[in-house]
Amino acid sequence: MEDVTLLKNRIKKMLVDNLMLQLKPEEIGDDQPLFGPGSIGLDSVDALQLVVALDKNYGIKIPDPAAAKEVLQSVNTIAAAVQRKT
Amino acid sequence: MRVILVTGANGGLGQAIARDFIREDSGNFVWLGVHKATDKATALVSEFPERSAIVELNVSDPISWQMALKTILTRHDQLDVLVNNAGRHRDGLLANLDSSAWDDVLSTNLDGVFHGCRAVLPSMISRRQGRIVNISSLSALLAPAGQTNYAAAKAGVIALTQSLAKEVARIGITVNAICPGYIETEALSSWGESEKTAAVARVPMRRLGRPDEVASAVRFLACREASYITGSVLKVDGGIL
Repeated sequence: MEDVTLLKNRIKKMLVDNLMLQLKPEEIGDDQPLFGPGSIGLDSVDALQLVVALDKNYGIKIPDPAAAKEVLQSVNTIAAAVQRKT
Repeated sequence: MRVILVTGANGGLGQAIARDFIREDSGNFVWLGVHKATDKATALVSEFPERSAIVELNVSDPISWQMALKTILTRHDQLDVLVNNAGRHRDGLLANLDSSAWDDVLSTNLDGVFHGCRAVLPSMISRRQGRIVNISSLSALLAPAGQTNYAAAKAGVIALTQSLAKEVARIGITVNAICPGYIETEALSSWGESEKTAAVARVPMRRLGRPDEVASAVRFLACREASYITGSVLKVDGGIL
C-alpha cells in the first residue's frame, strides 16, 4: 500500500492540477474542508471534475451525491477512500 | 484524430452532418448513432469504412447511451464532439393531442439530449475538452400552432444548452444549439406543394434550406477555433427570424 503521506500529496496535486487552483499543493491542509466555510473554496462544478478524476486515477466510483459528500470532505477522506479501494 | 458522434444519423440532416464531418477533415472519425441502421447509414459507412462506423443507439434510453459510449471509447478512447441531432415530430393541436404524442416527442427530442450530454460528460471532463452541438429548431423560437410538444421540447433543448454551457465552461467544454428553419429533409416530405410554397414565402431568402447548410454550421460550432463560443443559439433559417 502506498505511503499515506505520499498518497495525500498526490491527491493534493491532483486537486490543484485538475481544478486549476491558484494555490500550491502544500498549502492544502490534510483535514481542511474542500467545500464551504474555511475550505479551499471548491464548488459543485469542481466536485463534478473530482468525481471523474477519482474514477480515472484511482478507479473509485462515486455513484450519488450522498457518497460524493462523504468522500469529498477533505484530502483525508479522499485518501481513506483510495485506501479502501486498494 | 477527432472522434465525433452524430445521433439520428439515418435521417437527412444527420446524414448531411456526418458526411460533412467526414469530407471536410481527413482526421475526423464519425460514429453514426442510429436506432436501427438503414441502407443510407450503411451506405455512408461503406463509402468511408476507415473513417466512420455505426453504433446502435436509442437516445431515449440511458442504458443504450452507456453501451454506445462503451463501444466508442473501447475503440478510440476519446469522444471529442457530440451532435445531438435525433428528433421526431408528432404534430397536432393540443386539445386533441394524444398523451403518447407528447411523451414520444419529449422523450426523443429533450430527454435524448439530456441522456446524451450526461453520458459523454465524464469522458469530456476527464480530457478537459469537448464540443456538444444540440440541434434545436426554429419552432422553439416561433412556437407554431400544432407543435406544442415539439416546440416545448426544442425550447427545452435551448435552455438545457445554455444552462449546461455555464456548468462546464471552465472545464473547456462548449455547448451550443442550432435552430434550423425550413430544411429540405424527410420532415417536409409529408407537406403538400401548397404548404411548401407558403413556407418558402415566409423565408426572406425565398427558398428552403439544404441539409448541408445546417451541417456547415454544426461543423463550425464543433471546430477547435470555436473555442470561445458557448451557450450560443445559431439560427440557420434563411432570415426568417
